[in-house]
Amino acid sequence: MYGVYELQNFHLNIRDLELGIFEENGFRIYRRGDLKKVVVAESGRVVVNPVEPVNLPKNITRFLLIEFDKPMVVEPKSSGKISLTFPIEIAVILAGKKSFEVLDVFSFVEPKYTLYGDPKNGVVCRYWRSEIFEEEEDFVKGRLEVEISNSSSEWVEVGKLVFDVYGMKIYYGESVVAFAEVRILSEKVAETEFVDRRIGKKSLELYTARKIPMVGKKFVMEWGF
Amino acid sequence: MDLLGLKVYGDVTVADVLVVVAVILFAVILAKVVTLNLRRALADKIKRDQLELLTKIVYWSIVVIALISVAPILGLNLSGLLVAGGIAGIVIGFASQSVVSNLVSGLFLMIEKPVRLGDQVEIEGISGFIEDIRIMSTIVRTYDGLYVRIPNERIFTSNIVNYTGNVARRFEYRIGIKYNDDVDKAMEIIREVVEKHPFVLKHPKPDVFVEDLGDNAVILSVRLWAPATEWFGVRMELLRDIKKKLEENGIEIPFPQRVVWFANELELKK
Repeated sequence: MYGVYELQNFHLNIRDLELGIFEENGFRIYRRGDLKKVVVAESGRVVVNPVEPVNLPKNITRFLLIEFDKPMVVEPKSSGKISLTFPIEIAVILAGKKSFEVLDVFSFVEPKYTLYGDPKNGVVCRYWRSEIFEEEEDFVKGRLEVEISNSSSEWVEVGKLVFDVYGMKIYYGESVVAFAEVRILSEKVAETEFVDRRIGKKSLELYTARKIPMVGKKFVMEWGF
Repeated sequence: MDLLGLKVYGDVTVADVLVVVAVILFAVILAKVVTLNLRRALADKIKRDQLELLTKIVYWSIVVIALISVAPILGLNLSGLLVAGGIAGIVIGFASQSVVSNLVSGLFLMIEKPVRLGDQVEIEGISGFIEDIRIMSTIVRTYDGLYVRIPNERIFTSNIVNYTGNVARRFEYRIGIKYNDDVDKAMEIIREVVEKHPFVLKHPKPDVFVEDLGDNAVILSVRLWAPATEWFGVRMELLRDIKKKLEENGIEIPFPQRVVWFANELELKK
């Protein structure tokens, strides 16, 4: 379902949602439910893929906070892997002549936001709750493989993780998947980062499509985890 | 007679004046071109207020360098100006006390940054968006679209309320329900409406509680946090949603009422 389509033949049904570019009164119109946009283009392609989940109902942040259903405890000087989920937002992007335009972003998940840290120095984050070792669900939640290492000499309890999604690389194929690394530096501080591990087809990220300059993809969690 | 060789004053000729005008014009055009390209190149890369400050510094640097470089052509000796500046400075200092005060306040505002471009603020009873922070004054666009220029000195010495200075802010509703209504049900309905809204923050968690047993109603208090940039929209949407949902579930927001007891039986009842 995700992939690249020719502009002229772009019709899709995702779950119970119909979207596509239709001819109406001699115009090409992109339609998804009540949303309509006129597309003035002779040729071009349409890219449909999962993108960084921070765009709905509008983009107000670049951070994703994943709260665990149950907290996990990590042994000192050790590392391990966990599998979380993240909310899927699907973007419809027009591509042509080496340029991109985001036509639409939609999701089958109700968005929710939260605050990490205090109101003065903290950050507003997209909120998501996930079980550790949770299964993904088509078009709803993707899989996030996280490598956690605890370099401190204390046992630490982890109940949530915050990521900067501008470095998020999403791959799709049999499932939607992204990878991240978490380095616990002390009982209160951890560093998180999305990493690029090629598996399947790579999504076109929104910060590429919107030409948003990337200023750094690591996030330092200073207000606990 | 050679017009260009005509002396305007001292040894300064018309040609010198024309050269000076041409150099300054060129410098202004160059400054505009450089700042325009800076804006294009950096618009997406740095914050708007930092970009504005940078473009102003670049613009005025180019113009001032041009002025200093052409001053000798006009017979202005800068070292002489420095000596004369000592006395003139005192005179001008007294004369332009408020100008200097605004200028210094402007510099301190740019360093301290209590407000940034686009912030929603209230300064001396004026509420609106910060449109521009200049060296002498700050421009506020009020919510009803008026242009207000506030001298920087007044801003520097005033209490500033910056509604978007923090990333999140709390706001509150007080909702009255009838004494006959189920208070637990009303609180549950309000909680559901509030938690469903995407921009009502999950943490800090919203609070719904009975605040007061009023004269005419049980007063429920709803306290919630929203991103500072979105709070006003959330506030407007939620109040409507809460009212509608309470009414759908048969919970009324009562009018003020009084129960009057008569000491004697009413004549009408007889």
